[in-house]
Amino acid sequence: MTDAAPLLQVRDLKTHFTFRAPSTGVLPGPKRVLKAVDGVSFDLAEGEVLGIVGESGCGKSTVGRTLTKLEPATSGEALFRGRDILGLSAGAFRPLRREIQMIFQDPFASLNPRLTIEQTLAEPVRIHGLARTREEVRARISDTLVKVGLDPKVMTRYPHEFSGGQRQRIGIARVMIVEPRLVIADEAVSALDVSIQAQVLNLIKDLQRDSGISMLFISHDLGVVRHISDRVAVMYLGRIVETAPKAAIFEKPAHPYTRLLLASIPRIRPGRQPVVDLGEPASAASPPSGCAFHPRCPLATDICRSTRPDPVDLGNGRSSACHHAGQLLGEAA
Amino acid sequence: MTAILTMGRIFRGRWLATAGLCWLILVALAAIFAPLVAPYDPLEFDPLVRLSPPSQEHLFGTDHFGRDSFSRSLYGARMAIVIGFGSVVVALVAGGLAGMISAYFTRLGHVIMRIVDVLMAFPALLLALVLMTLLERSVVNTVIVIGIVYATTTARILFGMTLKLKGEVFVDAATCSGAGHASILFRHILPNLVSPLLVQASFIFAFAQLQAAALDFLGLGLPPEVPSWGNMLSESRIYVTRASWLLLFPGALIILSVFSMNLVGDALRDSIDPRFRNDIKGV
Repeated sequence: MTDAAPLLQVRDLKTHFTFRAPSTGVLPGPKRVLKAVDGVSFDLAEGEVLGIVGESGCGKSTVGRTLTKLEPATSGEALFRGRDILGLSAGAFRPLRREIQMIFQDPFASLNPRLTIEQTLAEPVRIHGLARTREEVRARISDTLVKVGLDPKVMTRYPHEFSGGQRQRIGIARVMIVEPRLVIADEAVSALDVSIQAQVLNLIKDLQRDSGISMLFISHDLGVVRHISDRVAVMYLGRIVETAPKAAIFEKPAHPYTRLLLASIPRIRPGRQPVVDLGEPASAASPPSGCAFHPRCPLATDICRSTRPDPVDLGNGRSSACHHAGQLLGEAA
Repeated sequence: MTAILTMGRIFRGRWLATAGLCWLILVALAAIFAPLVAPYDPLEFDPLVRLSPPSQEHLFGTDHFGRDSFSRSLYGARMAIVIGFGSVVVALVAGGLAGMISAYFTRLGHVIMRIVDVLMAFPALLLALVLMTLLERSVVNTVIVIGIVYATTTARILFGMTLKLKGEVFVDAATCSGAGHASILFRHILPNLVSPLLVQASFIFAFAQLQAAALDFLGLGLPPEVPSWGNMLSESRIYVTRASWLLLFPGALIILSVFSMNLVGDALRDSIDPRFRNDIKGV
């Protein structure tokens, strides 16, 4: 982490989806709004890895998709080197796409089955004008393939000839070939076999460290996030409920939801408590009043049911959006 | 050289498809060299030998004007190929573009696909009839009309497939790489549509023959003097009890060509989709 101005500053980001409720008659059903991301703010420093964790449906992937402009933002701003990217047109954003890249979850779906590896990797090089001649393009592809641990000879092959782990390496090569400054990894290893996860995770970490890339690592897997992140942000129903340096959050969670998440990690150790049942998260289409977490929270009091807590700075780079954060920290101390 | 190797790869182990290809090559050669091979002028009347059965002089017999059926069949191959490929090109280009663009730009697509829906509300033959009555009888117009008729189904099929492909993760990945709309449509989505397009092409090629024959039969297709297999069928229908060979030969030619096109289309599809490349077995 550095003290320089953050590479990315996200301020009150909102991404809402409108959809139609099921119709009860001939006329279309009423319009409803799903607040997938509802006021997310965070900073990301140069070379920093911020892990975003949360249950499925909490909006963590939508944050990533909004920042790469795959989904239009409803409001808020995302300053990349001080310049808001959310308002940019597709054409104006194109040069920035080179710097802001995304690793996708499913390595089977993220590669076009009709294109060879060479064709897939040549595309970003050509679009961003990173090599002039065919030989230069090919040399760059070879270098990148070696970097991600693949034999350059594989470039003539099609995606279906590779395993999941190899495909994800190709996906990572497509990202690294343009030398990005910000990489958004959306469940980058979740679809892989557990035995392969560690390899690919280490590769991502090495590449990140070597090139000083900033990274948003989105995952539901706390173990994976713990391995790779410098800081962790916990999301619940479209909002960040807690942000803290990695060590702090795993030692002393300052939000009851984080606590619940940590307690839910299955452990193979005799005599420990059985796995905690998280219960069903509330629906983002009709969130509860007050603190969205109160129906599941063991500490919920009247204020939680009526007033939504805003993130409170707790010092040491921590913040928590909980009325009882102080109590939690005191308890753990 | 690479073309020969590619052909070898496509047809290896597929004797039926190879036979179909040979037949289509034969038809193509007949079409090209018709003036050299044909023993008679296809338009020449010879009243003395009208409705004579197949013989050494007239391999396929003669029709009610005494025209040599074999020579007419050779020239008919030209029409079959022109109608077949012409309709395929018109249908795939018009229908394919309409379907892909409709699925990709959904607002515009609502308008285009409703027009397609209206066209599809007509039975294929009726639509062709309506369009042909507005136009002059000519080869080009017949090709355009049949092409438009099948463009509607092509547009429908490609609309659905493009809609599905548009949501694929690799399209998102291409967007993140900086690819524009045209690049995504034609570089990323179109190659994934080749298989359905080929299947569609062989189907259109086949049905275009039948559609053209039906139009000929109703007097709205190719000009009557043009020797086509469809015209030959319709002209000789009233002689079916006296001169069945007049129906037998053009009918057999249509069936064989349609069947062959389907076989070749299947072989092409299996080879172009890399997922099938290693398991081509049987026919």
